[in-house]
Amino acid sequence: MMLIAAGLAIVVTMFMAVIRGLLGPGVYDRVLAMNMFGTKTVLLVAVVAMIMGRPDFLDLALAYALINFIGVLAILQFVQNREARQAQQKNQTGASS
Amino acid sequence: MMLETILGLFTLTMVAIVAIATIMSSNLFVASMWFGIFSLLMASNFFILDAADVALTEAAVGAGVSTVLFMGALALTAEKETIRMRTNWLPVAALVALSLVLFVATFEQPVLGDINAPVHQHVAPWYIEKTPEYINIPNIVTAILASFRGYDTLGEVLVIFTAGIGVLSVLSFKPKSKQSLSGEQLGQKVRGVQHHVILRVVGKLIIPILLLFGLLVQFHGKYSPGGGFSAGALFAAAVMLYGILEGADRSEAAMPQRIMLRLAALGATLYTGVGIACMLLGGHFLDYNVLWSNPVTGQYVGILLVEFGVGLTVTTVLVMIFNAIANRPTYQA
Repeated sequence: MMLIAAGLAIVVTMFMAVIRGLLGPGVYDRVLAMNMFGTKTVLLVAVVAMIMGRPDFLDLALAYALINFIGVLAILQFVQNREARQAQQKNQTGASS
Repeated sequence: MMLETILGLFTLTMVAIVAIATIMSSNLFVASMWFGIFSLLMASNFFILDAADVALTEAAVGAGVSTVLFMGALALTAEKETIRMRTNWLPVAALVALSLVLFVATFEQPVLGDINAPVHQHVAPWYIEKTPEYINIPNIVTAILASFRGYDTLGEVLVIFTAGIGVLSVLSFKPKSKQSLSGEQLGQKVRGVQHHVILRVVGKLIIPILLLFGLLVQFHGKYSPGGGFSAGALFAAAVMLYGILEGADRSEAAMPQRIMLRLAALGATLYTGVGIACMLLGGHFLDYNVLWSNPVTGQYVGILLVEFGVGLTVTTVLVMIFNAIANRPTYQA
């Protein structure tokens, strides 16, 4: 019963994360929404595995956690590199003019 | 059972919402985020349907590797869609009508989990009954994938290998326009201002754990969810993490493209070679019973070798694609 309540709470949180992703005015709101969605997926998989009585499926939750970290890092690195590139382009156009 | 129904409804509704949001967003960066969320939802849905092997592969490829590759591709192009089509209502109306027809058709379907559904009466009982006798491993999905339907999996491995060659050949064209900043320069530039000490230390701690987990998924796939495909994605994710933290030029120096290409070919050749070895030993193609004096041990050895070939090909192809995209110079718009 407690696990089911936890599962429903996680589902509601996921829904809110998606709404933030839909509305999110800035890029970082969406990055956060995606990161939180990934975290909640890990929790949901763990809870469902426990409800099913298959604790060996916790492997999956572990994999999701590791993978989600890499995905968010890639996004943040992209944002950082974009700023570096834009600065470089500004320098080039400034030098040529 | 009740909770699984609710969760299934929830994930599928969210999938529909996310799909519409992806179509509507003109910002490609935001669309890639939606792809990641979509993939996590699909993986959760597979998991709720008790398909753990598929869920593992979907999460590793869809949420991890795809996001990294999308970001690499976005770095090479503009961020906004420049051509905005105005809404054309005829295809929308056609799609709505079609979806209504499909929706009505679903009432004819057997209920989910109905034991008398045709899909559960076709070959599934035979697999469930015969796997302990012929192959004697707990994970029936692995038995079907690597042994009973070995031909299909061989086809999939060759498809992945071909796709890798295709992507590499597209990326190897040297464009004529002026470069603004190559991946190598960018890597040095970013490393020069690298002040994320915590991120680099923690990230490098995760790489060996990820590789170890990949090995578990690769070689423990007979007992728990996993196998060559998901393990390959996890290995590739570890290499991508190194490339993100240290710069893609270093990840390419560690994993040179020429060697990776040969290893990818080796993986596909290993799979085919196991099949040919079975033929030479007097069996059928991919009939592992003849590989060992005891047929069950033969199946075990065959599945192990074949899964290793799959894992090798998937890993090397994904690493090649990542290095090719991340090290490609960018151009001024």
